This record gives sequence, C-alpha cells and structure tokens, in this order.
Amino acid sequence: MSEQPMQTKTDSPPVQTVRVFKRFSLGQRWEHVLLMLSFTVLLLTGLPQRYRDTGWSQQILATPDMVYLVQTIHRIAAVVLILEVIYHLGAGIYQMARRKLSADIFITWQDVRDAGQMVAYLLFLRKDKPTFGKYNFEQKITYWFIFVGIGIMVVTGLILWFPETITWVLPGSVVPASKVAHSTEAIVAAIFIVLWHFFHVHLERLNLSIFTGKMNEEDMKTYHAREYDRLTGEKAGQDGGKQP
Amino acid sequence: MSRAFLVLALLCTGLLAILLVHSVIPSTATPLAQEATPIPNLSISDEYCSSCHGVPGQTFPLEDGTLLDLYVDPLEHASSIHGSQGYACVQCHADVGEYPHPPFSATDRRDVTLQLNVVCQRCHATQYELAMDSVHATALANGNRAAAVCSDCHTAHAVQDWVDEDTGEALPEARLVIPQTCAQCHNDIYQTYLTSVHGSALAEGNPDVPTCIDCHGVHNIEDPTTTTFRLSSPQLCAECHTDPAVMSKYGISTEVLNTYVADFHGTTVTLFQHQNPEAETNKPVCYDCHGVHDIKRADDPEKGLQVKENLLTTCQKCHPDAQENFPTSWLSHYIPSPENYPLVYYVNLFYKIFIPTVLGGMGLLVVMDVSRAMINKSRRRKPAPQPEEQAAMAPVEEPVLAPLEAEELVEAEAAEPAEEIVSIDDQVAQTSPTPATDAQEPEVDRDLSGEDNDEPASSQTTPEDDQPGEEVNNG
Repeated sequence: MSEQPMQTKTDSPPVQTVRVFKRFSLGQRWEHVLLMLSFTVLLLTGLPQRYRDTGWSQQILATPDMVYLVQTIHRIAAVVLILEVIYHLGAGIYQMARRKLSADIFITWQDVRDAGQMVAYLLFLRKDKPTFGKYNFEQKITYWFIFVGIGIMVVTGLILWFPETITWVLPGSVVPASKVAHSTEAIVAAIFIVLWHFFHVHLERLNLSIFTGKMNEEDMKTYHAREYDRLTGEKAGQDGGKQP
Repeated sequence: MSRAFLVLALLCTGLLAILLVHSVIPSTATPLAQEATPIPNLSISDEYCSSCHGVPGQTFPLEDGTLLDLYVDPLEHASSIHGSQGYACVQCHADVGEYPHPPFSATDRRDVTLQLNVVCQRCHATQYELAMDSVHATALANGNRAAAVCSDCHTAHAVQDWVDEDTGEALPEARLVIPQTCAQCHNDIYQTYLTSVHGSALAEGNPDVPTCIDCHGVHNIEDPTTTTFRLSSPQLCAECHTDPAVMSKYGISTEVLNTYVADFHGTTVTLFQHQNPEAETNKPVCYDCHGVHDIKRADDPEKGLQVKENLLTTCQKCHPDAQENFPTSWLSHYIPSPENYPLVYYVNLFYKIFIPTVLGGMGLLVVMDVSRAMINKSRRRKPAPQPEEQAAMAPVEEPVLAPLEAEELVEAEAAEPAEEIVSIDDQVAQTSPTPATDAQEPEVDRDLSGEDNDEPASSQTTPEDDQPGEEVNNG
C-alpha cells in the first residue's frame, strides 16, 4: 500500500512521487546487449557471404585470407550467440521452475484477443487501444519471432559448419536446404528487427527499459495498464497515483 | 651589301635544313625487319635448289659429329601449303644465296631447327609473337631445348593448311590431326585423352568435341598449372557446355555453369577469378571432380559421377570424413524442384510465401499504427483545450496527460525538491495475484530479496530502489 501515506503527507508541501517499476533483471539486460552485439556482428559478416555476386561483397571477400577472416569472425560471434541461447534457456527454465520468473512471455488467448482489438482500433472500429499486461502482443511477437529465428539460424548454421558430420545421420539435402534457410532467415530477421522492433522501441515511443531495467509510472499506465493494475491494485485508467 | 649576305645566309641554312631532313628520313624509314631477315633473292629458282637438295644423300657435318640430311623431297614441298601457293625455297632460306653458301655451323640437329625457326616470323609475325608468349617459349628460354617451336608442330617442308579461310576455325580434318601432333611430345596425356568421352568421340570423327587446342589455346598456349588458369577453367568448359546448339544433341544440361556458380564451390572460385586470380583456393573447379584428360560420361560405371559410389570417392578427396549421405549435399548441377531436391525447393518456396505475407503484414500494421497515431494527433489539436478542460479530460485521454504532468512535475520540483521514487519490483508479482492493499508493502520487500543476482547492481546504480516504502520523505 504505497498510496495512503503519500496523500496524507502532501497536505502542506507538494511532493511529486515518481514510481519506477522494475521490468528487466540485470541478467536479462546483459543478455539483450550480448544478443544485440552478436546479432550485429553475425549480420555484418554474414551479408557479404550471402551476396557474393555483388561488387561490395567482392571487395570485402577478395582474397582467401579475407574469406577465412570473415568466416572466423562469423563463427566466433555464432558461438557467443549459442552460449547466450543456452544460458537464456537454462536460466529461464530454472527461474520459472523456482517461481522467480513470471511466465508472462508465453503467448495466450488474451494476446490473440488483444491483437484483434488492436487491429480493430487501427481500422477505426474501436475508440481506444486495448490494454496490455507486462508484455503486449507486439513484444511477444518480437520475442518469439527472434526466438524461432535464432533457432533456425543456429541449427542451419551448425549444419553448414559441419556438413560431413551432420550427414552421418541426416540426408545430404539438409545441407543445401540449410543454406537456403540460413541465408533467407537472416534477411527475414534483419528486416524484422528494423521494421518491427525498431519501430516499436524507437519510433512509436522511446522504450529503453531493456537497458535501464526500469519503466516509469506513466509508461506503465499507458502501455501496460493491466500489469500496472496487477502490481499496484489501482486502476491505471483512473489516474490513481497522480494528484491533479 | 648586308642584304646580299642575309639572303645568302638564309639560302645556306635552308639548303642545310633540307639536306639534314633528307638524310634523316631515309634512315628512320628503313624497315627493321628487312635488316633482321635478308631480302630473298627471288632470281634463285626452286629448280636451282633441288638440283642439289632434291637428290638424296647430301649431308652436312654438325659440331657434335652427326650428319644433317640436306635432302628435301620436291614433292613434299610442292604439296605443302607453301609449295602449292608458289612460295620459293629462298623465301624462307633467304640468307643462303647461291652455291657456295655462306658458312653455317650448328652444334647439333636441334640447334639447326632452333636457328632456322626464326624465319617463320617474316610472314607469320602474329602467330610467332603469340608463340613467344606460350609455355613452350618460356620452357625454351629456361633451357629446355626440346620445347616445341613452329616446325615441331607444323613441320618444315610439309606445312599443311589447318585453318578455314572463311571462319578462321580449324578445319575438320585438322581437328583429328591436332591431338596426334601434340602427342609427339605429350603422348601419355594423348593416350589418356583417347579414353575420355571427348577423345574417344574425336577418334570416331565427331567434330563437336574439344581437341587439345580448344582448352589450351593454339600459339600462346598457357601454363595450365597456374592458379589463374585453374580459376578461369570453368569458363573454358562453359564455352561448349552452355551452348544449347551443341549440348542439345547429347541431352546435356546447359545449366551446369550456373548451378556450379550458385553452389558453395563455384561461388568462391568465381569470386577469386574476378577479384584475385592468383588466389590459391581448395575449392574444386570442373576438372577436379570430372577429371582433366580422362573426363568420362556422367553415367560411366567406373568414373561417372552419376554413380553414387564414384561421387562419394570424389567427395572424399577433399572431404575425408564424408560418409554415404554426404554427396547429396551437393546439388549435382540440379535446380531444386519437387522432383530433385524437394526439401531445398520447399524451403525456398516457404520463404517466398512467408516473407511477403508475414513481413508484409507486419509492415502494414506498422503503417496503420503510424497513420492512426497521426490522425489522433491532428484531431486532438483542433479543440485547443483550456487548462481546466485538460485536467478534466486527463483521465480519459491518456496522451494529453503528458504535458500536464510535465508541468506539474516542474512546479513540484521548484516548490519542493523532495522527490520520491518508489520502485515496484514485479518479478514475483504473480505470487500475489490479488492486489491486497495491506499486503503491498511486504510484497515489495520479498520481491527485492528474491532477486539475488540483480539486487546489488540495481542498488549501486539507483540508490532510490532501495527505499521500499514512503518513510524517507524529506517533506
């Protein structure tokens, strides 16, 4: 109960209370930094290999030494990303099992309803945006799109890295299929990040909570009203924490 | 007086200048070629030469003791391209003149050939120049006296016409002779070539197949062991193998180059071919898999790469760990289709559908999002609300709150610096789904203690986080 004392005390001097909501743990913030860096390096070293018939790529990959260097950097970044994925899954499962991490990230029917209402709002069939929980359906799409994408990239990347070993078990055609999937999924992921993720965290509103770990009260009320209600027991729409 | 002198002086200098110019022009105009090879004395007839050289048994002693046979069969010369077109002996042997000939000496039989070989350039300068760039000329310059010169391939007195005047291409009968000509020195390769799909077809008189010169060139024969040759070799094969007119006769795909370039090996080879022809690469070119001079049909039971075991053996040359499944990781020049490599085909198809629908759909949502936000903004501007109205509107229309709150915040800070930041940790919030008001305070405490990893860091960076409740109120 954080509300009552403040209201009693603000009788004589006006006090502005800014409440900050913790959104991401330090581990999660570092994971995001690691993901960003490895993704960027992988993209920068992957694109020249993908577009070898273009002039700029041929400038970079002009000698066998350069091809080797670019491939080596790509594989080091890939190992970093794989380790990060292993940590992410391990820590996530462990923390959820011990009830230290909420299962908010999983997609529920509520997200489908939210998405439907959002589309209705965008088509002017609804007056207001739907309210969201800790992660709105757009953020869940971001997470799971990248989650599946990284899964595809890791599996196909390892197949391309160790084709001889993989074909001890799998049919040979998985190798050229992986080449198609790896190079195309990379482009899909890159377009997705720019189109969807950058739009929602930079253009729609500047949301740096993945770096700071925190979100202020207004943003919580505006964009994650259901989560705000659940945490505070107030109704976000009634402007609970504010004094007029 | 002085005028006459001036005129005289001018005349003298003018004359001198004319003399000078005349003396310079003829000396520079003298063709150097004529100095290198003497002008043939055409008054010496072939009959005159053959009165001695047309009689068998004439010899000339060389320095190593061997005897040089000086007999030239008059019929052989007459049936050669030179003889049949009326070229005289002295047009090549220009420096010998009438008998007695000027002194001549050579260490051995090969020395004679090498000495006489230079005369070809008098008429065939282009070919001679090209030959000087060849691997043969390089070998000769490096001391290999056996390296081929003009007459080793063309003969000295029985030179035949091998080129079609109109097309510039080798005549069909010449194509049959060419490998035999090369075989004079390169017999091992010739024997291998005869067993190949190309060589055996040539022996049957097939004019479509390549002879030696189609891959190696004619006069400027390139060193085939260089990286440059290796990297550009796929283009050599492609000259015939991408020609539908030739390939359709044999039911061979003309996509072999495209599919090679599109796959792992060819991509790298083509890249280096353009960017860095000196690059050493372990990526295979056509002949690394199909063979060089022993190229076999694709369905040949011994070597053909359509036979799975043969292909695996070929792969294992570079991929020693490769097992039974490995060869199909190479698309075998196929373009993926539902029949060939369906997995690759359907993965590709999936993305062709996935990208426009899903990413396109997301793009559409973003565009709608932006446009709705802009429309909202423009609508809200119109009423130009009064401050009282703003306050009234605030709870309903969220975004309008922003300026108001900011104002209020500034006022509050000006009046009273005390600002309180309450951190609400939501990590374990699911354990308390009911927002029980009196349970709120201990809830926060427990949440913070639950986070072992993050608590020290957040307490370092933001000390406010440590204040769980409202006690620290400076006001």
